[in-house]
Amino acid sequence: MSKLVTRNLSMTFGGLVALDGVDLDVPEGEIRGVIGPNGAGKTTLLNAITGVNQPTDGEVLLDGEVISGLKASRIAARGLARTFQTSQLFAGMTVLENVMTGLHARMGTSPLAAAFGLPSVWREEEDATEKAMSALDFVGMQQFADRDGGELSFGQQRVVEIARALVREPRVLLLDEPAVGLSMTRVSELDALLRRIREERGVTIVMIEHVIRLVMGVCDRITVLSSGRKIAEGTADEVTQNPEVIEAYLGRELDA
Amino acid sequence: MAVGLVFLATLPFHANPYLLFVGNLAMLYIVLTVGLNLLIGYTGMLAFQNAALFGVGAYGCAVLRVTLGLPYWLSLPAGGLIAMIVGVLVALPALRLTGLYLALATVAFAQFTLWVFLHWYSVTGGPAGIQMHPVDFGVLASTAEYGLYYLTMAIMLAVVALTWNLVRSRIGRAFVAIRESEVAAEALAIDLTRYKTIAYAISALYAGVAGGLFAAMLGIVVPESYDLFQVIAQFAMVVVGGIGSVWGAVIGAVGLIWVQEALRAFKEFQEIAFGGMILLTVLFLRGGAMSLIKRHIKGWDEPLRRIPRKR
Ligand SMILES: Nc1ncnc2c1ncn2[C@@H]1O[C@H](COP(=O)(O)OP(=O)(O)OP(=O)(O)O)[C@@H](O)[C@H]1O
Ligand SMILES: [Mg+2]
Repeated sequence: MSKLVTRNLSMTFGGLVALDGVDLDVPEGEIRGVIGPNGAGKTTLLNAITGVNQPTDGEVLLDGEVISGLKASRIAARGLARTFQTSQLFAGMTVLENVMTGLHARMGTSPLAAAFGLPSVWREEEDATEKAMSALDFVGMQQFADRDGGELSFGQQRVVEIARALVREPRVLLLDEPAVGLSMTRVSELDALLRRIREERGVTIVMIEHVIRLVMGVCDRITVLSSGRKIAEGTADEVTQNPEVIEAYLGRELDA
Repeated sequence: MAVGLVFLATLPFHANPYLLFVGNLAMLYIVLTVGLNLLIGYTGMLAFQNAALFGVGAYGCAVLRVTLGLPYWLSLPAGGLIAMIVGVLVALPALRLTGLYLALATVAFAQFTLWVFLHWYSVTGGPAGIQMHPVDFGVLASTAEYGLYYLTMAIMLAVVALTWNLVRSRIGRAFVAIRESEVAAEALAIDLTRYKTIAYAISALYAGVAGGLFAAMLGIVVPESYDLFQVIAQFAMVVVGGIGSVWGAVIGAVGLIWVQEALRAFKEFQEIAFGGMILLTVLFLRGGAMSLIKRHIKGWDEPLRRIPRKR
């Protein structure tokens, strides 16, 4: 069954066509890779899906329901979670509080109840602390719970960002270059983590990634973008043998 | 802290009227600064309308009490509510602005409000303002000064406690998330419009209530209390005390009222001192006085969650 679908998704900035009629169909439980040269429109695709930018044309469907046109927070509330190309972990908050912020929409405390510290608030906070700790445990970052979000290394921030997205129990998880800045061993850990997210949490994943080793290893299928258009789609073997893909990457090794 | 509370509670019995006045002033500025810090420090909105809303609360309270004859216990909260409504009305267009444009628009609003105070004679009395007779606390207090002092103290304590609770909840975390990254906050299903409006509304309510207390304390409401200096004074308290800290707001308010009173004879030096303190803090002590406390008092923590973590 199709989990996430885009139809003719298009995005222009002024005169620049950043996304040109992209059709995507990600089945439930798949790990989909999105690759393409710099400026191909990968991040723009994620932004159009999550409502950061309203697409200029086309539509996005989640479980068969149109979500394009809603504002970003509404789309997120429908069950889309994402991470960002540059870490967006909140400084001035501990790692634990960052992950608890991920639970925002799953909590119901009103400003008045919070201000008066009603017993229901205590219970909900306790529950949130527990959930957030278990999400940190899942990604192996629980020992950093009390550190400030801004203190972590770049790679650690990326992993906590994944925990913050996961704690929301999303239907689809969108990752924008999660392996950027990670060492080789860290990349292997990420590979294993992504598989566990799918197996144990049943989350469908769409991952933009430049680290070809990761994409080729973990993704079921790969979509290739170039100049805002989808130029190929298929298994790792299929796309690496596609002449158009080789052409788009001209001079870049695909099998690094 | 307990010592401070006892000192505050017994101040009327061992202090001269002037010291009582300063204590009262500091407490109502705590109310103002804690509210403004929610907006500027926690939510990251560089907005300056609170000086004007302080005035709206003062005028609202005075007009209802003097012109319409409402008792103080009604006109005080009503002034706060009026300020909150005006604050939300300001928030609606301001929601789409951030950074420099928000700062400019809200300073312009403060200037416009000042113009209204000065020129809407039939309501505000123009430059002469509105005289207010002392509040009668009946059997509760022997003089208006004592009564007002304890009323301000009760409101201040309530505001600090309620705000302290508020920031240690999903609401406080949503505020800080918005300050740190609006796109990331939205990606966590945090509705920017809703939470920014909440921050504007609460800080406006606090400013309005503080205005009503200020009006009663001075016994007169005049436009120049709510001018650009008021904008700078409140901003300085937030920055010098510590951005994004409830206790920082308390320290900033008390500290700067002390500086202001020490320089009472030289009004122009007050402005220079406040401006200079903002500058020095921004240059050398980003987190304000609070960052010193965090550095030197071990285990000091101002968490954004309710349940303490066992270590
Ligand atoms: N908000 C924006 N306003 C204007 N142009 C934009 C905006 N966002 C992206 N673009 C442009 O759209 C094109 C695609 O950018 P995008 O960030 O989607 O590329 P990408 O595939 O993610 O590249 P990279 O691998 O470098 O991250 C680029 O030419 C970029 O300059
Ligand atoms: Mg990108």
